[in-house]
Amino acid sequence: MSLLLQQLVNGLFIGSVYGLFAVGYTLVFGVLDILNMAHATVFTLGGLVALWLVEGSGMSIWAAFPLAVLFSGLLGLVLDRVAFAPLRQRSDTYFSGLISSIAMAIIFESAALGLFGAHTVRFPPNTIKTDIWRIEGVTITSLQVEIVLVALILMGALSLFLHRTRTGKAIRAVAESERTARLLGIHVDGIIASTFFVSSALGGAAGILFGLYFDALSPDMGRSIELKGLAVIVLGGMGSIPGAILGGLTFGLSEVLTVAVTGKSNLRDAVAFTVLFAVLLLRPEGLLGRRRAREV
Amino acid sequence: MAFLMHFFAVYGNLVNFIGINALMALGLYVTLSAGQLSLGNAAFAGIGGYTAGILTMQFHAPYILSITSGAMLSGIVAVLIGLPVLRLRGVFLAMATLSFGEVVRIAAVNLTITGGAQGLVGIPNKTTTGLIFTVLALTGYFMAKLRQSRIGWSFESIREDEAAAASLGVNTTFYKTVAFTIGAIISGLAGGMYAHLNFIISPGEFGFSAAVQLLIYNIVGGTRIWYGPLLGATLLTALPEVLRGIGVTAGPIRMCVNGIILLLVILFLPNGLISLLSRSSSIAGPRP
Amino acid sequence: MKNERFRKGYRLILVLILMVSVRSVTFAAGQEVKIGAALSMTGAAAAYGATQKNGIQLASDEINAAAGSDGIKIVPLFDDDASVPQQGINVYNKFINADRVALIIGPTLSNTAQVTNRIAQQSGVPVLAISNTAKGITDIGDYIFRDSLTEAVVIPNTIRVAKEKLGIKKVAILYGDDDAFTKGGYDAFKNALSEAGIEILSEMTFAKGDRNFSPQLTQLKSLNPDAIVVSALVEEASGILSQARQLGIPATVPIIGGNGFNSPALIKNAGESAEGVIVGAAWNMTSTNPLNKHFVDAYTNRFGSPPDQFAAQAYAGVYIALEAVKKAGSADNRKAIREAMAQIKDFDTVLGKFSFTAGRDADHTPVVQTVKGGKFVVFGE
Repeated sequence: MSLLLQQLVNGLFIGSVYGLFAVGYTLVFGVLDILNMAHATVFTLGGLVALWLVEGSGMSIWAAFPLAVLFSGLLGLVLDRVAFAPLRQRSDTYFSGLISSIAMAIIFESAALGLFGAHTVRFPPNTIKTDIWRIEGVTITSLQVEIVLVALILMGALSLFLHRTRTGKAIRAVAESERTARLLGIHVDGIIASTFFVSSALGGAAGILFGLYFDALSPDMGRSIELKGLAVIVLGGMGSIPGAILGGLTFGLSEVLTVAVTGKSNLRDAVAFTVLFAVLLLRPEGLLGRRRAREV
Repeated sequence: MAFLMHFFAVYGNLVNFIGINALMALGLYVTLSAGQLSLGNAAFAGIGGYTAGILTMQFHAPYILSITSGAMLSGIVAVLIGLPVLRLRGVFLAMATLSFGEVVRIAAVNLTITGGAQGLVGIPNKTTTGLIFTVLALTGYFMAKLRQSRIGWSFESIREDEAAAASLGVNTTFYKTVAFTIGAIISGLAGGMYAHLNFIISPGEFGFSAAVQLLIYNIVGGTRIWYGPLLGATLLTALPEVLRGIGVTAGPIRMCVNGIILLLVILFLPNGLISLLSRSSSIAGPRP
Repeated sequence: MKNERFRKGYRLILVLILMVSVRSVTFAAGQEVKIGAALSMTGAAAAYGATQKNGIQLASDEINAAAGSDGIKIVPLFDDDASVPQQGINVYNKFINADRVALIIGPTLSNTAQVTNRIAQQSGVPVLAISNTAKGITDIGDYIFRDSLTEAVVIPNTIRVAKEKLGIKKVAILYGDDDAFTKGGYDAFKNALSEAGIEILSEMTFAKGDRNFSPQLTQLKSLNPDAIVVSALVEEASGILSQARQLGIPATVPIIGGNGFNSPALIKNAGESAEGVIVGAAWNMTSTNPLNKHFVDAYTNRFGSPPDQFAAQAYAGVYIALEAVKKAGSADNRKAIREAMAQIKDFDTVLGKFSFTAGRDADHTPVVQTVKGGKFVVFGE
């Protein structure tokens, strides 16, 4: 029993990190219908920059975290300016945007490699003091709790932002229909830029939390989460924020449960991608997505 | 003559791989020419490569039989996968083909007959430069003919506007499956030839990054005409050697140059590098 | 970090000035040996290529500084195989036909070596592998050597020592199944365990790039093994160690690993969780052998972090190559260099007394280490 409970804890924890990564991913898709393939490299750079701040300047993680998140957000603005805005009026913007984001991903990854080296590095020990609790044979660490809390807070803040603030409402309006938003007098380009800022800031935050917990940051660390992130946003429904959170948790749990139930781990990823394949065929709008008029 | 010998000694392998990569890029081009974004072509190359390699090594099949069987199996899988998957569009199709590709890669890691993570080791080297470019030339000729045929016209109309094509009586499902399958057969053939050039093939070579690389060849070259991907594959395959030649140090900088070239092309040459060579109306010019 | 980079740059400039000044005086008198180093500087194995490059650079600079006016000088040519065979072939062709190197060191990955070394064999260019551990690399032909002790040698020794000292009877295995190196390590472990009569309770796998191992470790923990045997590279290994301890797998259940674990990064990244880990490896980094001490100090001084096994085997490789060139009495006769290399016996290196087997594989004593107080110490031999 404690075995299964422990696995549930494992799954919920990793699922919340996947979720945080995926909300930013799906946000851009929701607004622009573009898959931002550079999201995983922003995740990487966020983590590495936070580490650089902590290690290089002896900054506390509590100061480094917001700074690195801000930096990730700025990367989002760069992405929008360089890779997406110039293509916006083009008829094939969905396709060309995908490609230019792949180009940016290559550039960002080579920058990470050049600046930080190829080695796997970690935050200095005791960057965050960690307590380990063991309850009924189940292990939970204070860091895990903190990470889940930060992830939940950020995701909650995003929901509030989208529903309560002027900018947030404008983002949703642009997501509904860019043309209508323009007619309503919304400054669409600015709104798209802020979408990228928010999306990348969240991606960077996910990278920092991931790096803090797993003690392993490297220029290619985004690669292992890139495809999982895609699977999560498809599962949740492309463009749906609650869907991405739910998708992240579901995906995290399914990874864990495949191991727990079958006692084997070599088919874990195969199961995940088969499920993704099936979801695409049977319910392409995902768990919580709406059916889109233009499935581009 | 001595110069040619020397050139071939240094760059012979590069020339071979330009041919193979161009052929793989053409496989994806067929699918793209019908407006379908597939990330499954690397996996089709893998199916072709593994099938051909296994036939040669385990069953001592003649080379030509091995690579054609690989291509055919690839085509059969494409029909089976294509029928349900091609109902999806754009990014959704890309993602479905991507998950298919991942499942193929993981299968290759876990099966015994494929040699697991180590891969298939000891495939005899039977692919010659002459053969690569003969096949490439024939495929190019086939593409040119296809473009002028009813099939080619149907691909083009689906790419321009699928709904309109359907309303004009084009059987879109049929033609999309045809494009997907032809693409898979070409990729599978290229995969088989690659396996017999490389001595060893392993699952990682046919994964997500390989699929993206094929897409990049097409975009950089241009997808409006069949020789676009040829140009893209040629330039990008030769790029590391060119950078080496002009003294760009090995490492992250070369990777960065790759990314910048891709970015510049997509931003300023929407129809790929090919639009620099030819300004004929059938190729160039962004549409409204 | 910035400081460190500055220091690195400063040293590099010094070394360059030194090299240029030394060379300008003695160019005519000394002999130069061109060595091609085909390493993975980008791609999946970039982290290993980086330390290999350091090791080769350090050894070459030492040799050149000591050569004086009439000694043999090493000219290392570095190029990137991007961790893929296709690029590796291009690099080899360039080394062999354009640069006309005397011999090649590398490539980083076994899968690349399987392809590229055939070209070297056909062209009659000696290759010294410094990190390949897969089966069959040296079977490619008589021009192919390696100084990297394979898992097939290291692991049975590790299991024997661990069984003697700890009396383990039943173990669980965790390994990476999509990587040739970690899969090969798993095969070696499995053979060694069954030969030692140790029961395998369960086998779990992970994929390259995974960072979360808690689902697998949770399952393994529930089986109460005497030890957990892990075949992984250091990127994954440190995460496995810390997550295992965090999940409450007690320190009395040791984790046993192979060559992939033999890196200072393991201790750096796993911290306290690395205590008690058992690492069977080719290179004993704590060896008090003066050669080794000198290497570790010089490397740490120059590059700002201690060397790993990749660096040590690369460093040893350059000295082995030099020895072969000296014995051959020629800086460019590839055949003579091959003949001389095959004769190398009981040669003092940072890896210990080094010989080649009849099959041109590395022959020296492997070591079993453990971590105590944040340092590798010898556990047994």
